[in-house]
Amino acid sequence: MAGLLGILNEIAQPKKRAEVIHGKLENLNDKTALILFAVAEAVLGEKFLLKAPKFIETVDDYLNYQRTAQREQFLTALLLAETRIFNFIVGGHPEGFSHMSLAERQKTLEQLRSSKQQQGRNIYAAFVNVSASTYYASELTWPDLGYPGVSVDHPEILNQPPPIPWRPTDPRPIET
Amino acid sequence: MSGTIVEGRHVGENRTLTPEFCIIGSGAAGGVCALKLAEAGFDVLVLEEGPNIPKEKGPAPGQERKMLNEREAEMYKLLYQEGATRLTNNGGVKVLQGRCLGGGTAVNWSACLPPRLETLDEWQKRGLPFTRQNLEPYLREVVNYLPIVRNDKYNTSARKFMLGCDRHDLPNENLPNNTHKCRECGSCGVGCPYDRKMSGFVKWLPDAVVLGATIYTDTKVDRLVGSNDRISEVQAHFIDGKTRPTQRKLVVKPTKGVVLAGGAIGTPSILLRSQLDLDKRVGKFTHIHPVTITIGKYPEKTLPAYGVPDNMWTPKFAPGPTGYLIETGSFFPVLSASATLQHGDELHRIMRDYYPTGAISYAHHTTGFDDKEKYGTVELDENGDPQLDYKIPTANVKPMQESLVMMARIHLAAGATSVYIMRNPPLEVKPGDNFDEIRKINFTEPQRASIFTVHVMGGCQMHKDDKRRCVNNDFTFKGKKNLWVVDGSIFPTALGANPQVTIYSLALWAAREICEQNQKPFKLNHQQGGELPWPGY
Repeated sequence: MAGLLGILNEIAQPKKRAEVIHGKLENLNDKTALILFAVAEAVLGEKFLLKAPKFIETVDDYLNYQRTAQREQFLTALLLAETRIFNFIVGGHPEGFSHMSLAERQKTLEQLRSSKQQQGRNIYAAFVNVSASTYYASELTWPDLGYPGVSVDHPEILNQPPPIPWRPTDPRPIET
Repeated sequence: MSGTIVEGRHVGENRTLTPEFCIIGSGAAGGVCALKLAEAGFDVLVLEEGPNIPKEKGPAPGQERKMLNEREAEMYKLLYQEGATRLTNNGGVKVLQGRCLGGGTAVNWSACLPPRLETLDEWQKRGLPFTRQNLEPYLREVVNYLPIVRNDKYNTSARKFMLGCDRHDLPNENLPNNTHKCRECGSCGVGCPYDRKMSGFVKWLPDAVVLGATIYTDTKVDRLVGSNDRISEVQAHFIDGKTRPTQRKLVVKPTKGVVLAGGAIGTPSILLRSQLDLDKRVGKFTHIHPVTITIGKYPEKTLPAYGVPDNMWTPKFAPGPTGYLIETGSFFPVLSASATLQHGDELHRIMRDYYPTGAISYAHHTTGFDDKEKYGTVELDENGDPQLDYKIPTANVKPMQESLVMMARIHLAAGATSVYIMRNPPLEVKPGDNFDEIRKINFTEPQRASIFTVHVMGGCQMHKDDKRRCVNNDFTFKGKKNLWVVDGSIFPTALGANPQVTIYSLALWAAREICEQNQKPFKLNHQQGGELPWPGY
């Protein structure tokens, strides 16, 4: 796997994006960070960094906690998606993922999602899960969900009456 | 003399230790054995791969564990195996397992059910000695010590579930919890910051330390070394806060024995790295409870994150070899986003539509009763790390479809305006719709639906069949007189119930065996009377 990663990394030429500015990375590199950005933009839409400004760094840090083989699989999937042959097979676009328009990238995701090949669906799930969970981990997105936040920051949300009263005379035993 | 907790990440030199017993893993089984062996007067050392969870006052009122800040992004990576991204080999099932002081008990949703009678009957057919009658003193000890209570602070998911069940004439019951004066933050799954969940790091482990046990956290076991019928050495290394080796080693030379309590993936992987594979039996017949999930969307705001996550269920569909338990929970932004299998505008629409007004129910599915099925296998990858090869058994496909249908019906009866089914592509069911699309989901193909598991069992079976047995009925590993396996890896089938109470109880039984085999007294200290909190189950 490590050998394949090196080869794919060597040939990858992802599109430069002015938005992709990041601190020191431990698992991603400049190339895979650009591909990750292109993937996340396809999953989350344009300007997603406004609400998840540390997106690249967060994913990079998270990769530390995966077992080595799984981390390499994710990096391989990113680099594979940047190969022309991959995108030609998946959707008939002979160009790297990061070079496609947003609409083309989203169409490619759709094709991966419905792929008859397990690997295709797994790549889709990995891209979507990583992007969506990292985005919605950002507190700036929580107001969109009506999520007030965690109790240690908002102790006032604890021990409030539940919003939907039900069975006020419920005979079920209560903790003593 | 009181023991201590040593954080391996801060150890600056190689160390050699010579306790009487070395317990590997600090989860449900490890915590019980640490306390009971320390209580019997043994010199006990516990090794835990994950981090310590120190008791220190945090900034919020009543916050005891400052480190536990409830933020999913930070907690999952610290408290779960592989940062909560562990998957089966084929990518088809997300496997959530604790990796911290207290193991799974630190991050479970506090549900406490006993072993199913039907499962114990199946185990007896396979030669295991456990019955509800002979387990009763151990169950009672667990109930009284933790304690386990009926907590009726129902969150909105539970309330909607009760309403929907009532309208379908389905029995719905309180599911006992190991919480005490719960503050209803809903954060059981990322570690209770208020010490209101009676997890291992609140109960068993501190009590063991008071009695002299020493715990090393951030310590990953590489292998067991021995000859003939005895283990003489445990080789381990320390890891840093990001799970990387620190280059410092730990060698343990236990004078009496080793207790394996690393869980149903951890324990087989240590045995495999130690080349104790018993003619390739270790790791085989690993079971999970595959979990199907539904989110109902309601007309009103539900605040689905807060409240006791898991204290309502229906036992209606539990019976049988492929039965299922429908329970309710809490849900948070990251957990929700990681299961949507959606992208673009639809992803955000689903999150914005379902999160603020959502209620969750999910079903744990029983597996593992068919002796002809292979089920899962724990293997080592090229780096010596464990991986789980698992395919959803075909016998579970229909029950998984039906659990989704039933949960959708319950939501709709409770007033949901739509129900989100985590299929790929996603499926929304509305009042008046039929359920044909749900019944077409092919769960045997990975990523046709979001499937989780939080219960992994088996892989190192107790079994009467010599070709299957890894562990003898006295919990010793076959062929090793001073190696005991005490965790859920000994289960010959999946349990069909949330396993923490069963693991606690069997670990108490195992601790008694270890004490007796080493001529020390064993005592149960919390045998006061009263009904156990599971009438009729």
